[in-house]
Amino acid sequence: MTVRPGLFAALFWLVLLVASGGRAETPDAALETLLGEARSAAAAPGACSQPGLDRLVRLYCTGKIRIGVREYYPLFGTREGQERLGYDVDVGRAMAKRLDVEPEFTRVNAASRIPLLADDKIDLTIATMGHNAQRDSQVRFIRPHYYQSETTLVGPKSLDIKGWSDVANRTICVTVGNGSNAQIVAHNARLMLFDEAGVLPDRLRDDICTLAAQDDSFFAYYFTDPRFADRFDQKFGFAQVPWGMAVAPSGSDRLARALDLISQIFLRDGVFLRIAQENRIGTAFLERQREVWNRPDCNTATGSKDRACVLPALTAELEPTPFAARVAAFEDWIEDRLGIDLQLPMFKTMPAWQLFKDGIANSLILVAGALAATLLFALLLGAAQSARLAVVRWPARTLTVILQSSPVVLTLVISAAVAHALFPYSSAVAIGAAIVALGLMNGSNAGQAIAEAMQSLRTEQGGGAASVATGLYGRAVSRSATQIVSFLINAAKGTPIASFIGAPELLSALTDITSFASGRASTYSLLLVFYIAVVIVVVWLCGKLRLWLERRQVAA
Amino acid sequence: MSRISPDFLPQLLGGMVTNFEIAAIALLLGLAVGGLLTWAKLAGGVLGAIATTLIGLMRAAPTFVVMFFLLNIIPSDASLLGVNVAPSGLMTVALSLVPYAAAYVADNGGEALKQLRDGSPLGALLFLPNVTRAYFVLVMSSSAGAAIGVSEGIAVILREAERMPTLGDKMVLFGIGIVCFGITLQAGFALIRLLQHRLGRLALRSRQG
Repeated sequence: MTVRPGLFAALFWLVLLVASGGRAETPDAALETLLGEARSAAAAPGACSQPGLDRLVRLYCTGKIRIGVREYYPLFGTREGQERLGYDVDVGRAMAKRLDVEPEFTRVNAASRIPLLADDKIDLTIATMGHNAQRDSQVRFIRPHYYQSETTLVGPKSLDIKGWSDVANRTICVTVGNGSNAQIVAHNARLMLFDEAGVLPDRLRDDICTLAAQDDSFFAYYFTDPRFADRFDQKFGFAQVPWGMAVAPSGSDRLARALDLISQIFLRDGVFLRIAQENRIGTAFLERQREVWNRPDCNTATGSKDRACVLPALTAELEPTPFAARVAAFEDWIEDRLGIDLQLPMFKTMPAWQLFKDGIANSLILVAGALAATLLFALLLGAAQSARLAVVRWPARTLTVILQSSPVVLTLVISAAVAHALFPYSSAVAIGAAIVALGLMNGSNAGQAIAEAMQSLRTEQGGGAASVATGLYGRAVSRSATQIVSFLINAAKGTPIASFIGAPELLSALTDITSFASGRASTYSLLLVFYIAVVIVVVWLCGKLRLWLERRQVAA
Repeated sequence: MSRISPDFLPQLLGGMVTNFEIAAIALLLGLAVGGLLTWAKLAGGVLGAIATTLIGLMRAAPTFVVMFFLLNIIPSDASLLGVNVAPSGLMTVALSLVPYAAAYVADNGGEALKQLRDGSPLGALLFLPNVTRAYFVLVMSSSAGAAIGVSEGIAVILREAERMPTLGDKMVLFGIGIVCFGITLQAGFALIRLLQHRLGRLALRSRQG
């Protein structure tokens, strides 16, 4: 068989064409082209003095890149004299080196890292910044992301906690405003709020906090201390947040594109991984990313725009309520008219609104339950303490003395511990345990008053054969009306303390809301007004009850 | 039973000292504020009406809510004339007890002054056992500090209880707590009874004299 030489030539060129057309441009080649164009643009006469210059071209005009880094974030950005240390700083140096310009570092913090970009005081921020959808409108994030943190739960090694099911009804120390707080709250854990993350390790060390939740990047430094690492460990992580370098949203298109490509190349080649190892921070994310960016479908010039390769931004925004806009307008109106910075976060997002409504309902149930339980235990313990049989009387008296000797928080904790031993944890069980504890504490005191009144009536009757059944007991209840009413009011006032054992009443709900939203002052003022109003209503109702009991006594 | 750590008891006693400190601060401030409110109430007029309203509101304010209110409205870097005035955790608990203490002092102080005006100085002296009673109520109420990380007696017990694996072990620990606080409380009540007894004898002597 013979084949024409012309056909061979045609096939050869076809294969070559397909091969060259099918192979995507590499990120390295795309980067070289981009940087070459920028250098040429900067070298053109008069180009550097033109307004609206792209920041990438400007880098080559000035020969430097201004990078915002943190100075007080151990392992990521710290400063000792003139020396800057940390993962973010080393990433900045590596990026500058790849761009072939000198890095010039500027101090930023959580509040200034975005405004300094907008004010053109820095070209790039590498400052432990989580990439969430809300920030996408403020800066242009560099993708792929250069690191990822997660919230980690830290506690004593002796404490066996493996997952969310083990944290229900436990108190976890957190910082106000941490985005992951809402997730903790959703798993029935209680929060103890702190303003600064820096105090959390100390509170763990002095046992004030048994568990603390914060970024793993924050705790990474403390785990380099052998004494801390000997006592505590990381229980589990959640709420992963990708970290992004960022540039200004306008005038930075080519700079952002160049940094995207460098970030992609550095992840693929393990440059970020090596820097992380040198700075002794966690590397699991970077190891996973190296695999991703070595995949043929990702290792292309367009890989950083491919959703199959890059991570999405964290969606941190909560669903607004239908009336959120009107609430915001009202807040503005108050500020304009009265100069008061009123904030009502409980009305602005659906999770907060739901917590608020449930909190009010649970508070009212708790108050009603505590009043009913107080009355019931008062009558039962009053009758038992008035009994002629010592076998009935003395246990009731002993129980009263024990309850009187136990501080309110301790009684609540004991009640909750018994309830949780009998039933699996739930909000209803916590509310029930609180009602029983408040009822016992106040009811025992009121019962003692009834028994004393009973004793006085018996003395007045000369120790006759009167018994509970003869109606004397009813008169004793009427005679001790003032004491009963006093302890009923006390029970209503004590209901907010039920939040200590995880009962989801209003104080607990508002603490949860303020842990992920602003407006603490307004929120707690509203809480105080609510409870004072509830107690005033209870006082009024109890006044009516006392009048009725006193009239009964007069009639008797 | 799991071992209770050897430093538990010293820590518990140290924590209880904190409870006594909180109660003492709250009572002193309560005496000052309550005294002023009593004076204003007795003055009558607008001032008296304001004082009466304030006393009513203070009486109705739940201590636990007041504590969280104070904790959240006072900034941690609050300063006055350059001096940091942000209260510590201990002080926050003490301040949260002041409305109760002040309302109690105002109620009992008013009654004592009434007795004095009616020519019964011994009736007025009943103010002393009443204030002593309030002090012990404040000691017990100061356990709320455990909720905001104040290392008082109950916080010490709860910390130790976290390490106990079984309900039985925890109950033993809670029992120790009740005994420690119970002895304190009963001693306080004994003191009140002694005071009342002395005052009663004084009253008897003055009548006979």
